[in-house]
Amino acid sequence: MSYYFAIIGTQDNPLFEYDFGTSKQGGDGMARFTEQARQLNQFIIHSSLDIVEEVQWTNGQMYLKLIDRFFTSYISCFLTASNIKFLLLHQPPTTTSSSSSAGLPPSSSSSALTSSSTSTLVQPSHSSSSSVLPSLSTLTGGSNASTTTLGGATRTSTSIAANPTSPQTEEAIRNFFAEVYENYVKAIMSPFYKTNMEIRSPVFRARVAAAGRKYL
Amino acid sequence: MSNAGGSGGGSGRAGESRLRYPSNGKTIYHRPLNRTKTAELSKAAFAYLFAEMVSYAQRRVTGIQELEKRLNLQGHPIGLKLLDLLLFREPPRSQLRPLNIIALLHFIKINVWTHLFGRQADRLEKSSNPETPDEFMIIDNEPLVNAYISVPKEMSQLNCAAFAAGIIEGVCDGAGFPARVTAHTVGDTSGSNGSGGTGGAADGEMWPGRTVFLVKFQPEVLEREALIGAKS
Amino acid sequence: MTVFSLVIINKAGGLIYNRTFHEGGLNKLSTNDYLVLAGTFHGVHAITARLNPVKSAPERPLSNTPGVPGGILTRPEPPSGLEVLESENFRLQCFNTLTGVKFLLFTDTTQTNVDVIIRRIYELYSDYVMKNPFYQLEMPIRCDMFDRKLLSHIREINNR
Repeated sequence: MSYYFAIIGTQDNPLFEYDFGTSKQGGDGMARFTEQARQLNQFIIHSSLDIVEEVQWTNGQMYLKLIDRFFTSYISCFLTASNIKFLLLHQPPTTTSSSSSAGLPPSSSSSALTSSSTSTLVQPSHSSSSSVLPSLSTLTGGSNASTTTLGGATRTSTSIAANPTSPQTEEAIRNFFAEVYENYVKAIMSPFYKTNMEIRSPVFRARVAAAGRKYL
Repeated sequence: MSNAGGSGGGSGRAGESRLRYPSNGKTIYHRPLNRTKTAELSKAAFAYLFAEMVSYAQRRVTGIQELEKRLNLQGHPIGLKLLDLLLFREPPRSQLRPLNIIALLHFIKINVWTHLFGRQADRLEKSSNPETPDEFMIIDNEPLVNAYISVPKEMSQLNCAAFAAGIIEGVCDGAGFPARVTAHTVGDTSGSNGSGGTGGAADGEMWPGRTVFLVKFQPEVLEREALIGAKS
Repeated sequence: MTVFSLVIINKAGGLIYNRTFHEGGLNKLSTNDYLVLAGTFHGVHAITARLNPVKSAPERPLSNTPGVPGGILTRPEPPSGLEVLESENFRLQCFNTLTGVKFLLFTDTTQTNVDVIIRRIYELYSDYVMKNPFYQLEMPIRCDMFDRKLLSHIREINNR
């Protein structure tokens, strides 16, 4: 299970990004994205911003749960009061791809399809990400190889790692977001911080890493 | 996007060495964000600080409008930050982002005001003029920021609560309701806006410093409000 | 019991505030006369402060016994100069702050608790004058808020 976490400002500008892997079930906390996937992640996150904007005015909650899906990448969102978006992309290990795709509710996959089609209409940026699509097959193959080398630990994982739509996963991500939110509020309390400024504090980064280790 | 910090494990390689920590090792991240209800600040300390802020803003300004603009700008970032802080302090059940104008103004009237001034704002009004449905008014009978301030006669247009107006504007902007907020004194001129239904003259006598914060939302806010209202 | 008027003198002897609360108690003076009064009083006050012999008395070991005859050692503050000036028809109380601002309060001779009144005025001054960003030090006081609070405070005393 690999995660990519990003904080996006009000102008759709990135403020902070961090990728990491699971620390549960003996995971070593390292992300298993290929070099290609790393770059693709940013596009996926960016395209899901459109969906955030659709949801944000109908739901006053901060935690918007799972909002988007791009093949095996799932995106959860947390929206702060001042419209700063916390986006977490999580990718279950693809070795158990058959079982995880079977576990998916059909509705979510169809909604993901429609949403991606609408966003191609709205946002040209998504078309750029879909132009990367052909390379995706090679990409999943690559990650496939990497996870198999990882050994049996991830293969046997049953809880949050393998099942991105389960309530346990939802709850774990909620806790992760809550902790990051607390630290984010502390970060903006700094008199030298202005809205939409990149967050560079190493303490903040360490805190996000700790939250990732704790919950995901 | 690539320049937003280092990726993965190599965290902040360059920044780490140059950063200085407080001598006790406790950064802002080590302190709790919650406060006990009774934690208050000295009013005198604020009064002196604010007096200096006004004099600072007054340097090299050409007119009252510019002075108010500067005070407004001083308050703006405070509003942006308060919005997140106060919502964080709410109990999880009511941790809701304000989605419509009324919810937002209530949040300002109750949460923001109580946090800043120790009490709620006195009244909330919608413009009675049908031509300006985008105008709302938050009324404070005696703004704390003006507690010790007497504005000289030659600057009678000035209201230093422009600072508080800036805070409100920050909250509105942050929540996604871009607005223009201005502070107006209505104490001596009885009901100048023609809005206060309840005998402005008598109230004006009683509250000489009464201030109206006029919140004028951008057109897109009302457009969205209508759309959301139609949908739900 | 009436408070007639208040005069505030800055540390250089200039008149910075002057207000009459009760007509008829004292004769009206012209603005110029008030300026002269302020300057003169300032000078007299300076002289009386130097006349005062207390300062030359050295610290004696007796100081731990308060209430010695004459009350010299019980006085905590340095010599303050002229404090009260009394005539047949009025009484003048002077309050000198640490920063050298003088508050002169003219009352009739029967007025009690003048020091309390004058302290309260000092409090109003430090709130509504010193915390006002538009007040420039040593300049004449023109603060609506100070006027208003002062008037209501004195009115309360005069109507008692």
